[in-house]
Amino acid sequence: MIQLEQITKQYPGQAMPAVDKLYLSIPKGEICVLVGPSGCGKSTILRMINRMIEPTSGIVKIDGQDVTSTNPDQLRMGIGYVIQQIGLLPHRTIAENIAIVPRLYKWPKEKINKRVDELIVMMGLDLEKTRGKYPSQLSGGQMQRVGVARAMAVDPPIMLMDEPFGAVDPIARTHLQDELLRLQKEIKKTIVFVTHDINEAIKMGDRIAIFNAGQLVQFGTPEEILTNPINEFVEDFIGRDRVVKKLNLYLAEDAMKPIKCLVRDDELQNVARKMKDAGAEVAFLVNEAGKACGQISAGDVEEFGMDIEGLRKRAQRRSNAFVQTTTPFPDALSLLLEYDADYLGVLKGEELCGVLSFQGIRKHVYRKEGE
Amino acid sequence: MTLTDFVSFLVKNTKTIMEYSENHFTLVLLAVGISLLIWVPVGLLLTKSDKWAARVLALANTIFCIPSLSMFAILVTIPMFGLGRKSALLALVLYAMMPLIRSVYDGVKNVDRNVIEAARGMGMSTKRILVEILVPLGMPIIFAGFRITVVMTTGIAAIATYIGERNLGRFIQEGLVRSNTPMMVTGALIISIIAIGLDTILGVIEKRIVPKGLRVSR
Repeated sequence: MIQLEQITKQYPGQAMPAVDKLYLSIPKGEICVLVGPSGCGKSTILRMINRMIEPTSGIVKIDGQDVTSTNPDQLRMGIGYVIQQIGLLPHRTIAENIAIVPRLYKWPKEKINKRVDELIVMMGLDLEKTRGKYPSQLSGGQMQRVGVARAMAVDPPIMLMDEPFGAVDPIARTHLQDELLRLQKEIKKTIVFVTHDINEAIKMGDRIAIFNAGQLVQFGTPEEILTNPINEFVEDFIGRDRVVKKLNLYLAEDAMKPIKCLVRDDELQNVARKMKDAGAEVAFLVNEAGKACGQISAGDVEEFGMDIEGLRKRAQRRSNAFVQTTTPFPDALSLLLEYDADYLGVLKGEELCGVLSFQGIRKHVYRKEGE
Repeated sequence: MTLTDFVSFLVKNTKTIMEYSENHFTLVLLAVGISLLIWVPVGLLLTKSDKWAARVLALANTIFCIPSLSMFAILVTIPMFGLGRKSALLALVLYAMMPLIRSVYDGVKNVDRNVIEAARGMGMSTKRILVEILVPLGMPIIFAGFRITVVMTTGIAAIATYIGERNLGRFIQEGLVRSNTPMMVTGALIISIIAIGLDTILGVIEKRIVPKGLRVSR
């Protein structure tokens, strides 16, 4: 756990302190995002944790121990540090760059080599091709992968990341974010993550701390902040579309309902009665192999009546109106709009396991909003 | 002057040529050695303080502007130095101040700040950062300054003959006074060969000293 106790940082020649009497507890094993407009002090706070900047007053504690009780170099060796500009040593190979901190710890050579290989693979880079390359031979996204690998080299319990994905292109950024989240599920590090992008904060953060002008304005889970923004500043900062942003926090499985009615192609004539018997608003068309390949709603049945051919066509037009249990709400909504449908089949792998409706999404978000 | 005159001068004066060449060479070597020992650390220190860097670099520039004959004349008038090697060395070391300090300072200052920031953030000590990052990455600029210093010192050392140095400059000086063309040519030729030779050797080393990572292309 990282505790900041009444931290103030006053830069000489500035009227306002960059950080003003800040209290903040960052729980172990979570990603805590510090977010705010530029100049709000978020980077200063991050850099006070590993003593790159010393506070004017106040104490920073890591697991209860005052950081000033450790020599700064020793302290930093035990904390992963990733910056936006990456800062790979241009005259060292990728393997040598990753090996920097293990070398500071004087690990034996074989142990370093093994760890370096492990990290290159873990970061999704080609081991043979990447190992001996120099930083200038990599793309921005690849370089930041190396930057993250380098910070994780000695498996430090804490990682500080200062806008780590701010300088890479949007596609690479999304990949890096997804991979960090996937990794974090296994490694469970305490990560302090600075960004000015609220969307990145919502995506990455277990907890978000919003800053303005050196003050902590609100601290909470993304859900809490999106549901109850504490004041106008937070409301403006997270945007008028906060409820839409909140959709990102939920997955299809959160609002999925059980399936009530399946029909085979040869049962299409009886679909109206079948649905009525089952009390279902929607029926899924399954093929001989039992795989879902279409969807019929109560509205469709009414519209087509006994026009079986029309019904089949309508059902098949929605043969791709399926999501995975892990699909986030925005993607599911997009599909609903694309197919002009009220329902989506939810798959777990190949298997149909539930139904997600427009209404279900609305109710789920509203219930959360009301809480 | 015929070629025969020139060759006969070389043959008759082999011993003197060797002596002067040796003197010239040792003066250059000593001056460059002392300059490196003093100015490289000073240049490194200056990277810590912009205020002092501006002052010292301005001083070095001023010294560099003094014409060499004037410089030798000034030093000779100082009782502690007077005629001879001491004054010659001091003058050469003072001239080397500008190119060496400037190149060390620029070389180190040119290293990407983000690389230093990342290294510091990983827990590398100041000394380690200096040895493993600042010097290797600044080396192309530092070495270019060193190369200029060596060539320049070789040339100015010849002028030290006016304050009693018995080196290759003396052939030119005496040759001019006595209208002895073979003597003049010998001095001029050997000095030029030493300067060009040193520059060529250093040029080869310079190519090798650039860290490999800075040379590779995508």
